[in-house]
Amino acid sequence: MKTFFKKIGSLIVTKEIFEDKKSLRTLYKYFLIGLLVRFTFLPFFFQRDLLSTYQRAAETISTGDFGYDNQQMLTNVIHSIYLFIIKSIFPAINQLFSVLLEKDTWISWISFNSSYNVFTVLTLFKIPYLIFDIACMFLILRLSFDGEPENKLRVFKYWIFNPIVIFVLYIFARHDIIGVLAILVALLLAKKDRKYWAIIVLAFGIALRFFPILILPILVFYLVRTKKDYIILSLVGVSGLVAVEFFSYFYFGKSVIFPLLNTQHFDYLLSPKLELVIGSHSSIFIFVAVYIVIILSFLHIKKKNFDILLNYGAIIYLAYVGICYFHPQYMIWVVPFLIIIFVRRKSLLYYHWIQFALLMVILIYWGDLVTKFVFAPMDHKYFVYMTGIIPIIERFYDSAEFVNIFRSIFTGVSLWMIYLIYKDNKKILSDELKKGKIKEV
Amino acid sequence: MKRISFTAKIIILVFLAVLILPLLAGCRGIFYIPGASFGYYIWEENGNIFVEWSADRKDSKFDGGISTDGKITEYKLKEWEEENDVIKVGEDRIDFSATLNDKDYSDGFSFTLQNNTYLEFDLRINDGYDLSRINVGGFLENPENNIFRIEKDYFDQLKMKHWYQRRPFSEFFSKLFSNKYFTFTYLFILGIIIIEILRVTVLTRRRRKIIWLLVSYTTLILIEICIYFILKFLVR
Repeated sequence: MKTFFKKIGSLIVTKEIFEDKKSLRTLYKYFLIGLLVRFTFLPFFFQRDLLSTYQRAAETISTGDFGYDNQQMLTNVIHSIYLFIIKSIFPAINQLFSVLLEKDTWISWISFNSSYNVFTVLTLFKIPYLIFDIACMFLILRLSFDGEPENKLRVFKYWIFNPIVIFVLYIFARHDIIGVLAILVALLLAKKDRKYWAIIVLAFGIALRFFPILILPILVFYLVRTKKDYIILSLVGVSGLVAVEFFSYFYFGKSVIFPLLNTQHFDYLLSPKLELVIGSHSSIFIFVAVYIVIILSFLHIKKKNFDILLNYGAIIYLAYVGICYFHPQYMIWVVPFLIIIFVRRKSLLYYHWIQFALLMVILIYWGDLVTKFVFAPMDHKYFVYMTGIIPIIERFYDSAEFVNIFRSIFTGVSLWMIYLIYKDNKKILSDELKKGKIKEV
Repeated sequence: MKRISFTAKIIILVFLAVLILPLLAGCRGIFYIPGASFGYYIWEENGNIFVEWSADRKDSKFDGGISTDGKITEYKLKEWEEENDVIKVGEDRIDFSATLNDKDYSDGFSFTLQNNTYLEFDLRINDGYDLSRINVGGFLENPENNIFRIEKDYFDQLKMKHWYQRRPFSEFFSKLFSNKYFTFTYLFILGIIIIEILRVTVLTRRRRKIIWLLVSYTTLILIEICIYFILKFLVR
């Protein structure tokens, strides 16, 4: 029995930490404080998109149409199943179900916020994100620093107290964590050299949310052992998206990929561009060009180790948020990669906090919906009628320019972070080289 | 340990930063920002009644009338533009019509009264009634009818209102109290987490840990009971 619990303990918190009582206690302490912070925010805040996500799920339950939100089909399926379960258990959900089915977005938002059990429902709506978050925090322990319990603990601490994670999941309440978990599982499988499984899981992640596709090339280059692997792994990588496309086309009669390519979200990648001749059609998509440089520089590294792969993941997502227009929740994609690097380069942690502080200003881009309305569950009337941050800024200065100044600083900080990671890459590679030479001697 | 306290400090700072805006926007009575806030703001100060309005730099029209059973003795105009704004002051009635735009942030007037028992307001924004935008004596102290009356001692009575009877606190406490099962389960979970944190930090070096734990859980239950009565008192 004791051995069984030991195995379970090692499985959850890794063997190194489980066997060291001091480390185990520290990890538990971090976990509890992190949980306390998460629980504090859980019932009181949300951004309108959380309601939309569950409204789509309610529509799916009510009509039986799983393709209701066919651009995020798997995410909708997960939310629909969860909503169906909690609807059968908690009367609070049943009471608000008609609100979820309300088509008018403003009426549904007001009715939801003014409901006396809004805190219960919000808590229940965010519980899956808490579960995925907990899964991520224990998975991330295994990504790096094997045999170094102290560094593993630092990784855990950086995740559990990460302002972006707490903000995106418990204040903003977005579901990107499901895709982040898929990325972490894929990376872990890649670390264990399970190349096909790693790519299959990443393909699943791509089907969940489009963003994991950005790291598909570097994961393929990291995993390939033979020339044939390039083709097989790339095909498997996009298979998730292709599978969803086929399923959607044959089952619902509509495509997923083409509407996705035409959405504004995909356009964010292409929007920053350099016109070669003013007024002509010829232009360079800046992010695409930068992305290719990043991919090629990874390709040309002869000894690609796992830490380098993680560093490149961070570089790609930092380049994305640094160059392109993004929604606040997209910041979470960079976090799993960054926190590993924080252990080696503490200065990046401070820059990450600066990024978070700047993000709080950049939020103004999206107006009341993501600023004062986030607090609406406490008293919707108060937060609807209170003076918003945009009119206050507009009173003194152009709000768009004000935000763009902070947005530019954010880009500067993100690019500087990329440079620091590049330096970290060089250090990792030179350390590897030294180790190799010592072994040869 | 030092680093945790640093994190705790940052969390407290974020909390405070989040609280500052709502506090500035209304908790301290009739605070408004000309050119940013939108609506009517009415209050009493040193025996004068102030009626002011502001819009968020968009073209807006504010018009209406105020009447009383007493006598209007004197009046003062604030940021009044003769070319756009009109006011007619009688013995017991004031009628006004004013516009605001991207350069004109706010207008208003103040007056003193004698021998009155009430004041009657008929205030319109852009030729319509928007009662949630009429703040009488405090932010979101809104009238219930388009044409509304306030008694002579209205502002004094309003001053007697405690902070917890004002928005957003009143609504927040009311939601917490009306959803007791959730509130007390939620607080209990928070309590358990806090006790666990204490157990693995402060209590590790203490003897008789079980007694300390018993004391902690008893305290938690007592706190829950206290919170029940406090909430009951706050939302009464």
